[in-house]
Amino acid sequence: MNGSKRSFGGGGGGRGKTGAQGAQQGKDGQRRPMFRRRKVCKFCADKIDDINYKDTKLLMPFVPERAKILPRRISGTCAMHQRKLRTAIMRARQLALIPYTAE
Amino acid sequence: MTRKYELVYIVSPEASDAQVAELHTQVEQIAQRLAGTIEKTDNWGRRKLAYEIGPHKEGTYVLETINGSGELMKEIDRRLKVSDLIIRHLVVRVDEEETVIERVRNRRTETMRRRRVARGLPPDRQPGEGQRGDVDDDRDDRFDLNEGLER
Repeated sequence: MNGSKRSFGGGGGGRGKTGAQGAQQGKDGQRRPMFRRRKVCKFCADKIDDINYKDTKLLMPFVPERAKILPRRISGTCAMHQRKLRTAIMRARQLALIPYTAE
Repeated sequence: MTRKYELVYIVSPEASDAQVAELHTQVEQIAQRLAGTIEKTDNWGRRKLAYEIGPHKEGTYVLETINGSGELMKEIDRRLKVSDLIIRHLVVRVDEEETVIERVRNRRTETMRRRRVARGLPPDRQPGEGQRGDVDDDRDDRFDLNEGLER
């Protein structure tokens, strides 16, 4: 289960970053107006089992400016890991490691 | 029934080192009285809080890993709530999650080994083989590095 996901991630990542949209207009651009990079769950790809509330470095990318939790549709995190991420973020917030809001 | 808990508490920045140490001994005493043990204590030192808690902008974080019963943690929780020096605390039960993580890790190495054998390779990775994506060592040091920077 993990193996297949990983290989997908590797392929998608290699094909092009989001910045490659403009360069890839061609026939692809006509069929689909925008080329989106396949989103991959960071925790599945990097095989991070333990989403710990103490690890602020890991959690910070998932709470952008306004300090709201980044939704799954944007981050691409899988359901299981999003759940774990949520509890971790909420615990970290209680301990004032991560803000609840930004101003 | 002993369980494993993690307790993190934030001590007011005005507290002296001696007072922080005293809080630790208090926790230890409660643990001893109710048949628990403290596995590990970790003082993260003074850190800036992500938001202000009352008048405080920083605090001293202390992490304790405690083996003990639910009643013990209840008592510690009650005592910490009462204490004036402690501005925030959190108790989390960790034993169940740890076993789950362990199981997931084991299962992953198992499947990886099986696949490697099926491909006619030795079950363990040889040094200097394959690309980065194939790293089988999921306890890689990236995590530890992060933690090291934190403290």
